[in-house]
This record gives sequence, C-alpha cells and structure tokens, in this order.
Amino acid sequence: MTAATRPTTTMKRPTPPSKWPHTIGLLVSLAVVILAVWLVDANWIRLADLPASIGNYVVLMGEGLTHNPLEVPWSEYWVLATQRMLESIQMAWIGTLIGAVLSLPLGFLAARTVSPAGVVFVTRQFLNAVRALPEIILAIVLIMPIFGLGPLTGALALGIGSIGTLGKLTAEAIESIDPGPVEAALAAGARPVQRMRWAILPQALPEIVAFWLYRFEINIRASAVLGVIGAGGIGSLLSQLFNRREWEQIGITLVVIILVTIAVDSISGAVRARIISGGGRKLAARERRDEASAIV
Amino acid sequence: MTSTAAPTRGPEASARPRKPAPSWALWAGIIAAAAVTVWSALGIEFTLVPFFTDATRGWFVIQEFFAPNWGFIFQVGNAWLETLSIAVLASLIGCLLGLIAAMMASKVTLANPVAHQAVKWVLSVIRSIPDIGWAFLMVAFVGVGSLAGILALVMFNIGIIAKLTSESIDAVDPGPIEAADASGANGLQRARWSVYPQVLPNFLSYSLYVFELNIRASIVIGLAGAGGIGNVLLVQLGRFAWENVSAIFIATFVVVLAVDLASQAIRRRIA
Repeated sequence: MTAATRPTTTMKRPTPPSKWPHTIGLLVSLAVVILAVWLVDANWIRLADLPASIGNYVVLMGEGLTHNPLEVPWSEYWVLATQRMLESIQMAWIGTLIGAVLSLPLGFLAARTVSPAGVVFVTRQFLNAVRALPEIILAIVLIMPIFGLGPLTGALALGIGSIGTLGKLTAEAIESIDPGPVEAALAAGARPVQRMRWAILPQALPEIVAFWLYRFEINIRASAVLGVIGAGGIGSLLSQLFNRREWEQIGITLVVIILVTIAVDSISGAVRARIISGGGRKLAARERRDEASAIV
Repeated sequence: MTSTAAPTRGPEASARPRKPAPSWALWAGIIAAAAVTVWSALGIEFTLVPFFTDATRGWFVIQEFFAPNWGFIFQVGNAWLETLSIAVLASLIGCLLGLIAAMMASKVTLANPVAHQAVKWVLSVIRSIPDIGWAFLMVAFVGVGSLAGILALVMFNIGIIAKLTSESIDAVDPGPIEAADASGANGLQRARWSVYPQVLPNFLSYSLYVFELNIRASIVIGLAGAGGIGNVLLVQLGRFAWENVSAIFIATFVVVLAVDLASQAIRRRIA
C-alpha cells in the first residue's frame, strides 16, 4: 500500500508466499477437533461442578496434612507413602538399568555408521515395535504370567519398555560422533570391536548416560501406572486409597510423590548437566529435541 | 585432574602424554550408582529364577495370545474413536494452556522474577504427579467417563509442553525482542510478535509429540475409569480373556504406528 506513493517503480515487491497450505492445515485441524467433540461422549455439564468439587476435595486432602505427622495414624501414613515411593524408585532404577544394558548393543546395531544396512533396518523396526507398545501391555502379557505380581515384574516391564527409546537415541548419538577418532583407530589397525570400544564409545557415552538418566525420571512416573495393575510401588497405594476414597491419606501420599519426584528430578538433572557439559559437544537445541524424544 | 605436567624428556622426544586420571566425581558417581543398584535390587527382590522355572506358564499365555479374536478389534471400534477423540481434545487444550504457562514461566516474556519462578514451581508440581495420578483425581472430581480422561490428559500435557517450550523460549534470538521493545511493545505484544513466531515451529513439533504420547496415555487413564480403550482393556483383563486382550494389543500397535507415522510426516514439514 505504501509502495504506491514511492517514485521507484522498478523495485517490485516480492509476491507473498502462498497461504493455501497454512489455511488447509488449519481447516483440517478444525475439522478433526469438531469431529472429536462430536464423537466423544463427555459429560461436559460436569465441568461446571469442577471448581466446587476441586475446592471440596482439596480441603479434605489438606486436612491430612494439618495433622501432626508424628502422631500415630498419621505418621504411619507418611512412612507408608515414603516406603512405596522408594519402592517405585527401585523399580524404575532396575528397569532403567535393564533397558540400558540391553539397548547399548542394539544401539550399535541400529547405527548406520557402524552396522550394515540390512541389520540397521531390522534393528530399527524392532526398536519401533517396542516403542509402540505401552509398558503396561508388556507387563501384562509377557512378564506377569512368569514372574507373578510384584515390583520385580514392574522393573522388567519398564526395562523392556525402555529399550525402544534408549536404543533409538543411542543409535543417533553414535551416528553423530566425530569420525576423526574412528579413522585414527582404523589407521592404527583396530578391529571393529576395538574401534567401537576406543573410538566410538568414549565419544557417545556421555550423551548415552544422559539419556539413561532421562529415562530413569520417566520410568519413575511410568512405574505408578504398573503399580495400578498390581506391580507394587506408589501406584498400588494410590489405587487402593482412591478406591477407599481416603482423602486425608491421599493428600499425604500426593505430597510425598511431589516432593520425592522433584528431588529425584533435580538430582538427576544436575548430574545430567554435568555429564553433558563435560562432554562439551552438545547444543542446547539438540538436547531439547532429544529430551522430547526421550519422553516418547 | 587432566595432566598438565610436562614430560621429563625434552620436547623433541615424542613422549607419550600421561594418561588423564579419572576425576573424583566420576568415581563418586560410579560408587553411588552401584550403591543405588544394590539397594534397589534388594528392595524389589530381583531374581531371574522364575524365568527358567516358570517360563512354561508364560508360554501358555503367549500361545493364547497368538490366537487373537479378530472380530473383537472391530467390536471395540467405538472405544477407539473415543480414545482418539480424548487424545485430540486433550492435546489441543493442554498445548494451548501449556503455551501460555510456558510464556509465563520464562523470564524473557515475564520479567517479574517472583512471578515466573512461581509459575515454574507450579509447573514442576503438575509434572511430578504421574498421569495415572491425574486420572484418579479427575475421576474423583468429575466422575467416571471421558471428561475425566480429557482433564487428566490436559494436566499431563500442560506439564510436558510447558517444560519443553519454556526452554525454547529461554533460547530465542534476542534481536526481535529488542526490536519489539524499541517500538514500544508491551509485554503481551512482545510475547505475541517477537517470541511466539520464533518458538512456533518447536511448539508445534512438541505438540505432535504430546499427541502421540496421549494415545498411549489414554490406555493408562482408562485403568482409572477415565474412558476409552483402557476401560475395555481392564474389563477383558479381569476376565482373563487373552484372545480379546491380544486383539486390543494388535489394534494398539496399528493405531500408535499410524499416528506416529502421520505425526512424523507433519513434523518433518514443520521443522
């Protein structure tokens, strides 16, 4: 509009990029949302009750916290919640360890720079398949019939569930290393295993260990789900408490979950930051992307 | 820690550099990890013995599992549509709220140090409650059904999206922000015109991740009675109807794979 008054007639404004893809994308998304609202059989009216019932229950939960935590029924609740939370952490730790041990060789097999194309393809499909399954189904189908109910089952399910993401991220970390040391090892006559051990692993390991720690944090939350189907830990306690609607005890348990989770996350985050800055190769953007895919 | 000591021979001799000694932090880390491992293994009574003694029991279930009830996949089509709808709506609401929360949690867009720190704390509390915990809470708040599922996933999504996006916001190019400041933009205008366009591609990509997560998570929330395929799964498990569980399992696999592929294709175009 302002260009019209200018004397320079030779300067042409570039044609603005087409807005059609954008518009079509928006319309499709809108259609999907409308379809979803139409399909879902949600009792939207109950939303109106939400503020009142939140207030109501928060007061009930708060009552559990106002009691003296050293007196008898309440101290037991605090101790029980802490014990169960620690059990969840134990499950998550062993699960992550199993996932780490199993995913490391798979990561090498899935790295295009290390393995032949056929092996890479097969391994990647396997990792995708594991990633697509929720842990809970793994737990129910593969592990519960053999190991019965309990935290061990939970740990094994978390371990197998972790292989998918850890394997994929490990492969990507291996693919993104500096090729220099590998060439040096080749020049010095290293065999493939020696190349992996001395040229690839030292470069990729800080990143890989950081992924293990991410996964540990995620597994703590995931263990709560497994607990609901009977694998022990904080999930089992939550499900019992909600079935009995013991709001005061639920309040105490939620506080324990929040405190312990935040504590573990900050310790693990600090260790991760140290490991990665020690490696000193990663960019912030890259790390964020990896974090996003570690969650999946 | 790393060797700075000069080799004893002259610089012309090609002395081998001294091997850097591992730092104390590494040793402390390894010892701590080993201690936690022992503690955890004892705590959950880790053993692989049942794997050898009871493998036949597992084999029996796996055998039943490999005879899926194909008809059941289509029988529960409605539950799947409900799960997908819950995931779509929860992703939409959760990601929008998450974007707002992320803007409020960054010092780039909310200068008041007390305010953005407070938002950060609220977000870490939201994040620390697991998805199943939110599902239990929402079922208690609004009753059994898909509304509880949507609300639970919304809370779950706010936590993830806000964390990822607020880190993107912290890393934006300061140029456009200065430009907005120079032209006299207020906080909201600055967020809208200089920060939002920069984080939009990342935000959309994270939103798609969250949508993928929601498909899987909606199975989980069903366990707490919050609607969708998870409810169906729970019922079939209770009846030990392995052929139906197996059918759900296969359907889950197909749906998750389809959603992943679609979202990866979209993400490639955005990023």
